[in-house]
Amino acid sequence: MNDTILSVKNLTANVDGTPILKGLNLEVKAGEVHAIMGRNGSGKSTFSKVLTGHPDYEITGGEILYKGESLLETEPEQRALAGIFLAFQYPLEIPGVSNLDFLRIAYNAKQKHLGLEELDNFDFEDLVNEKLDIVQMNPSFLDRSLNEGFSGGEKKRNEILQMAILEPTLSILDEIDSGLDIDALRIVSSGVNQLKTENNACIVITHYQRLLEYIEPDFVHVMYDGRIVMSGDKELAHELEAQGYDFLDEKVLATV
Amino acid sequence: MGPNAKGARNYSQCDSMLIGDNAEANTFPYIQVDNNTAKVEHEASTSKIGEDQLFYFAQRGISEENAVSLLVSGFCKDVLNELPMEFASEADKLLSLKLEGAVG
Repeated sequence: MNDTILSVKNLTANVDGTPILKGLNLEVKAGEVHAIMGRNGSGKSTFSKVLTGHPDYEITGGEILYKGESLLETEPEQRALAGIFLAFQYPLEIPGVSNLDFLRIAYNAKQKHLGLEELDNFDFEDLVNEKLDIVQMNPSFLDRSLNEGFSGGEKKRNEILQMAILEPTLSILDEIDSGLDIDALRIVSSGVNQLKTENNACIVITHYQRLLEYIEPDFVHVMYDGRIVMSGDKELAHELEAQGYDFLDEKVLATV
Repeated sequence: MGPNAKGARNYSQCDSMLIGDNAEANTFPYIQVDNNTAKVEHEASTSKIGEDQLFYFAQRGISEENAVSLLVSGFCKDVLNELPMEFASEADKLLSLKLEGAVG
């Protein structure tokens, strides 16, 4: 059973009136891990924001189908409840709201949406404690304000903890490796790998091939000037690493 | 500070949080000191509920109304924690009532 979770066709999008996505095409099926690589400014982060419905981004054309239905008119909150999760590149600090409270409120919002039982504080705390191991997090983090005073690695691990609690169908990891040392990278990657199932899918956005040694992609795509211009398997990531993004300039110009 | 407030110290902090596009905060500290060994300080800050913060909550499936309520509660937490519990919890409930329907 290999259902298509995401189908993006000729997507164009602006931010502040400037076109950033210029005809992006992508198909993601259940059980797959897709890596998206590309230079700064190629539109990788924009793509993640457009998929999750960030208000700053305006879709000017094309289609996004999630589980067969168009996402274009759907509010960010509804997209999240439908099972789309973004691990932010720069997770925000929210003073005064504890990690535990935030997790519980998000979890119960989803439970309610699915018509399932919401958990009280005690039962929820039990649930979270089971999941802490996935990202090797200490329970003391739970009482602290959301991301406040967290190191870069701790923030990213916290994003994956949220992913573990919310069990999304489509996860988008926006440069999950940025700012991480090798140990944090290993822990984060291990967490992501533990959460992979046959029924969910993951889009991993990164600059560097190194992350893809830990989170192995089924497909690697390269973005250039707002479009995916090349696709391949994980060998493509090695090629890019060896040749740098410059070789793309020639290749793309050659096909224009 | 009265005339007998020898060596007294005061620090007043006023933090405002703006909700919505039309909100404004004006603070007018009134300082009257009648003893020249007293020390009086005042600080004011203004913050706004950012669009990025709201998006973070939305992307976790949390409604805007709940998000604002949590952000405001969090903002007030330090002060409310210093108050007697009955008063603090009433203040918190009043806040949620006030915020109901205030967003959007």
